[in-house]
Amino acid sequence: MIRTEEMLLNVGPQHPSTHGVFRLVVKIDGEIITEAKPVIGYLHRGTEKLAENLQYTQIIPYTDRMDYLSAMTNNYVICHAVETMMGIEIPERAEYLRVMAMELGRVASHLVSWGTFLLDLGATSPFIFAFREREMIINMLNELSGARLTFNYMRVGGVKWDAPEGWVEKVKEFIPYMREQLVGYHQLVTGNEIFMNRVKGVGVYSKEDAINYSLSGPTLRCTGVKWDLRKDEPYSIYDRFDFNVVTREEGDAWARYHVRLEEIEESLKILEQAVEQFPAEGEILAKVPKIIKAPKGEAFVRIESPRGEIGCYIASDGKKEPYRLKFRRPSFYNLQILPKLLKGENMANMIAILGGIDIVLGEVDG
Amino acid sequence: MLGLAKGLSYTLKNLTRKKVTYDYPNEPLPVPDRFRGIQKFYPEKCIVCNQCANICPTECIQLTGKKHPDPNKKGKIIDTYDINFEICILCDLCTEVCPTEAIIMTNNFELAEYSRDELFKNLEWLDENDENIRKVNKA
Repeated sequence: MIRTEEMLLNVGPQHPSTHGVFRLVVKIDGEIITEAKPVIGYLHRGTEKLAENLQYTQIIPYTDRMDYLSAMTNNYVICHAVETMMGIEIPERAEYLRVMAMELGRVASHLVSWGTFLLDLGATSPFIFAFREREMIINMLNELSGARLTFNYMRVGGVKWDAPEGWVEKVKEFIPYMREQLVGYHQLVTGNEIFMNRVKGVGVYSKEDAINYSLSGPTLRCTGVKWDLRKDEPYSIYDRFDFNVVTREEGDAWARYHVRLEEIEESLKILEQAVEQFPAEGEILAKVPKIIKAPKGEAFVRIESPRGEIGCYIASDGKKEPYRLKFRRPSFYNLQILPKLLKGENMANMIAILGGIDIVLGEVDG
Repeated sequence: MLGLAKGLSYTLKNLTRKKVTYDYPNEPLPVPDRFRGIQKFYPEKCIVCNQCANICPTECIQLTGKKHPDPNKKGKIIDTYDINFEICILCDLCTEVCPTEAIIMTNNFELAEYSRDELFKNLEWLDENDENIRKVNKA
């Protein structure tokens, strides 16, 4: 008789497929996971507490470092919250610049998620191709804001810089190029039999589970729930653009993969329209007082980041610093379903499931 | 197997494309003009208004002023000016608030040092850092 016993295995915190410093304590019985316990907090910087001693403009660089793969949406959510409280109207040109920057960020973020997901599954070349295209976006955002990842581009009332000469044309040229590459991506990966076997039917959850676990973004839309804040609660100028909300019915890693790739196409559609409608001239910063003081009261805004709904709650007592600041960070909420998904799966699927959820640890830990 | 072969054909097609990588550090990396690198400081322009130190989110700027040596002139001139690059996040807010553009960004970004103490840069060092200065500083 062979004596068998459960094994406790530590995955992470320094493990490449955990996309950062995420630790997962799994109990395995042979190849099957009987229990999984995520341990987070290795990248906790206390952004919310730090913000209580910072002026609103000073908080913006901190938000860059939460979801560092799409810092533009984070920049936007804090500015949007303060603007909502102060009732500032944003100049047209600034709104277009913001939308273009955010959508470029979304494409870049989905490219990373696509590349690293496949890298985790053992396919190296998609990662290289994804980063080649992402580099072009990053260079564009670098020209616009002066940084490659931590943009610190938006300000309360508008944006810091106007578009440099020829920037909009560059974005315009990028759109058909990216569309062409997307066809190539599908050719490279989507039809691949090994890939299909690895992801089809893996990490399935139902519509009800997704809603009960408060999932959002592609992790929600992959179950067939048509919910996108850009469409359902339009903020900024998203109501002026014609685009579809991508959904899939299956609710597995395969569906999440497709939702993300198709969302890149929809983002390109928005970019195309934004470039066309971009006003030739105008202000980029509204008239705001030099020291920004949000009026007494509270506000909560939410927008659609590449990973889901990112929300910002501000309670102000009328000073130049917030009394309390809270971010609803989508990666953190999306991660909560992980122990449930992992139970009963084998170890190889663990990587596919975690990669499919697409977390950013800077955001999970806050 | 068809999907695998199709994927491989995409990879082979990309073999002939122009390479996109740079030979850094053997060749300097091209950066746009707006790129935020290490700050350059002009001591003669500074009016010791303390705005840069106040706006800094990580409080990495420390400065002191002294009375103008010419008794007929009002105001202060800069005495010491230190930036601690251990905690500076190069967010560009200091150059944004500076009324006289005494502190501006350069495109230099190589900050690696052998010891942490060397990341503490003083007025002289920041004054000498005068290459690749950003052309446009304010929007």
